[in-house]
Amino acid sequence: MGDLESSKIDHENHLLLDQPLISLPIELLRKNLRSARFEVEKDGSYVKETLKRTATESVSGRISPPDVIKTLDSMIARMRGVKRKLTAFSDEEKRLHQHEEARVKHLAELYDMYSIDDVKYEGWSRTRLDRLLTDYMLRQGYIDSARALAERRQMELLVDVDTFEQMNRIRQCILNGSVQEALTWCTAGDTKKELRKMDSNLEFMLRYQQYIEIVRNRSRINPGEALAHARKHLYPYISTYNKEVMHACGLLAMLPEHADRVEAYRELYSPARWQKLADLFTETHNSLLSLPSIPLLHIALSSGLSALKTPACHSIHPNSAAAPSHHTSLSLAASVCPICSTELNELARNVPHALHSKSHVEPELRLLPNGRVYGLARLEEYAKKAGLSEDKIKDLRTGEVYGADELKKVFIS
Amino acid sequence: MSLLELQSELKKFNQASKLTGAVQDVDRLIEVLVSAREEVAAANDPHSTSLTLTKLQNPVSAQLDAINTDLGRVHKSQNAFYKSFARAFKDRGTLPTDHDPMGSQTALINRAIAMHLLREGQFGVATTFIKEAQPSSQTTSQPSSQSQPQTPSITISRPDTPPDAMITDAAIPSDLMAFQSQALQEKFAAMYSTLTALKRRDLYPAIQWARENSKELEARGSNLEFELCKLQFIWLFKGPFFNGLPATMENGVPGALRYARENFASFQQRHLREIQRLCCAMVYSQNLADSPYRTLFDITLAFDEVASSFTREFCSLLGLSAESPLYVAATAGALALPNLVKWTGINKAKNTEWTTQNELAFETPLPKSMLYHSIFVCPVSRGQTTDANPPVILPCGHVLAKESLQKLAKGSRYKCPYCPSEGVVKDAKEIIL
Repeated sequence: MGDLESSKIDHENHLLLDQPLISLPIELLRKNLRSARFEVEKDGSYVKETLKRTATESVSGRISPPDVIKTLDSMIARMRGVKRKLTAFSDEEKRLHQHEEARVKHLAELYDMYSIDDVKYEGWSRTRLDRLLTDYMLRQGYIDSARALAERRQMELLVDVDTFEQMNRIRQCILNGSVQEALTWCTAGDTKKELRKMDSNLEFMLRYQQYIEIVRNRSRINPGEALAHARKHLYPYISTYNKEVMHACGLLAMLPEHADRVEAYRELYSPARWQKLADLFTETHNSLLSLPSIPLLHIALSSGLSALKTPACHSIHPNSAAAPSHHTSLSLAASVCPICSTELNELARNVPHALHSKSHVEPELRLLPNGRVYGLARLEEYAKKAGLSEDKIKDLRTGEVYGADELKKVFIS
Repeated sequence: MSLLELQSELKKFNQASKLTGAVQDVDRLIEVLVSAREEVAAANDPHSTSLTLTKLQNPVSAQLDAINTDLGRVHKSQNAFYKSFARAFKDRGTLPTDHDPMGSQTALINRAIAMHLLREGQFGVATTFIKEAQPSSQTTSQPSSQSQPQTPSITISRPDTPPDAMITDAAIPSDLMAFQSQALQEKFAAMYSTLTALKRRDLYPAIQWARENSKELEARGSNLEFELCKLQFIWLFKGPFFNGLPATMENGVPGALRYARENFASFQQRHLREIQRLCCAMVYSQNLADSPYRTLFDITLAFDEVASSFTREFCSLLGLSAESPLYVAATAGALALPNLVKWTGINKAKNTEWTTQNELAFETPLPKSMLYHSIFVCPVSRGQTTDANPPVILPCGHVLAKESLQKLAKGSRYKCPYCPSEGVVKDAKEIIL
């Protein structure tokens, strides 16, 4: 009974990991629409204002018909631009709708399965693992691997290669010492507004880094550049980033080669800042799209490794495995536990092991003289397969042979 | 509200207004502007130009309003769907992202993924992945280890090593890809070609492999080699009509008999009874279906069974589990996650890290098929036994944790908590479950 209970699928709770799968297309759709609105707003008001002004000028005779045509042409060009952009947004919208549909459908499939022993569930769960792997690869910047896996498993609609590819490109630029791409991202469309809403310091930190680089390469050609940059991009935020702005001012007096003596300035000139900046960008990007801050695979693994881990998995004794009841007669020797298997053993070393309140052992346990305990059925089966006479048994692990009369009953309460 | 309701909401959402409406209205606005321009160009007269411009203002702003109305509609349907989504996942708790025990383990995770891809037969993806995941800083140290082929770090057990020695994680360098993916890939490629042959009902590659590894298989108590040969015997026995092989002396009952003569000798000691049964069946070869040997010769599932048995043994000899550990762990992770989420939700205020304890503070029930070890919970202390606190058996056969016994004992003597027997502590013996 207990097992039936634990292999039953609790659909709603089973989809905890899959929330981002559904939410990302929605977030992207919202972002897409905001960008569309931004463009319409910008060029729409241009057209409206220009028309109004031109009409007034025309009435008062301050503009000639050829110039009116020129103005009209510019308005038409603007609106054609809007149309082009809107068409792109509309295509993106279509794509995202397809994504969302495929995803909801994929998750809904789970509701046709009631037990994790269902073969269909295995297929579903494999797809989930492949999704988790792709998400992990994308976040690590292994874009080609992610693309290959998604293609191979035909699950392009279930993963977000494009979103992460763009993110990674910008991240890589930062790591290569360029803030320009990230700044463009920050200020494109309505992102700036959204970033302000979430109190992001990303843009300021990018500008700050830009300033540090100007100071570092203090040019003889344009000595005022640093000051101008500070005035424009840093000083206005002095109330929020007081410490940073103060340091920025001080930095002017501190050449890179002398900065070693002062902790604060050494830190500012440090190349390690680029890594931090890249991480800040990733973090901001992900939280803007309501993505979890760590890969879902990490969450699944930490949870799963702990749930599977037992004290035996890292025991100094060669571990014995219980023969799970579902094994066929062909498989007397139990299969290797996933935590004991090479792939995960080290990885699982630093997570807690599962809490059990009940013993789980084979029925009819027998103690061998060497201190090892096995189920009677398995011992007898093994002896039979090993071709031993009926009054002998053999240790499943060590291969030692004992007389059947040397076995001792074990009681587990 | 469940996901299924979200599915019907999505239908509505898909049918609701989209940006195409706005695109059409922009088109109309362009038309309005273009025709005004033509009017101005045709008239080429300041008065009618200003008239055209004045007349143009209302349609333009009406069209702009129309575009904004379109966008507003899209906004509205998006919001409605977003709300359904939020409701569908409401009260589900938030994912535990505060403490990430995997955060610093990228190399080990990458290694696990690479091995997973290889064992799943995704060799192309695996190659791409290994290339991309190769830390660039380590490439300098790489060539030396690659130029001379080393023995695969995943040690294959020798006949003289006990099966226990197969799990050789320590032997595998933790720096990511130095784990000789090439050797592993070859192994799995061999496994897949054998499995493909089995699908074609060709048992020879599998038999070949089992023969090469017969000592190790025997040490594991596996009968795979015999099972394969037995199946081959039955396969031949059934004859050309059944197996589709040419009707020669190599096939049918004579072929089976010949196969038995050539191959069963080495199994005689261990499987005499079964060989006798197989050979007795010869007598019934004309009407096997009505004979007592009917069940023995029913091989509808036999090929699938030997295939999964082969996979398991193959992986075991590499020290690997038969199912992908990554698959099992991710599935177990999803099953255990609700309890983890619940626990972190409750303990968030206390800022307790669930990852730093030795044992989870909450139960994570998994189905029996995911229990791989015997678990002994001491009936006295209610805790699991460990290396430091192993289970001990009392002469009466009852088992306790060592520490529990020490606490129960008065001096050197104890009384069993489960039966009337008494004894001395030193008679209790450590056991390995």
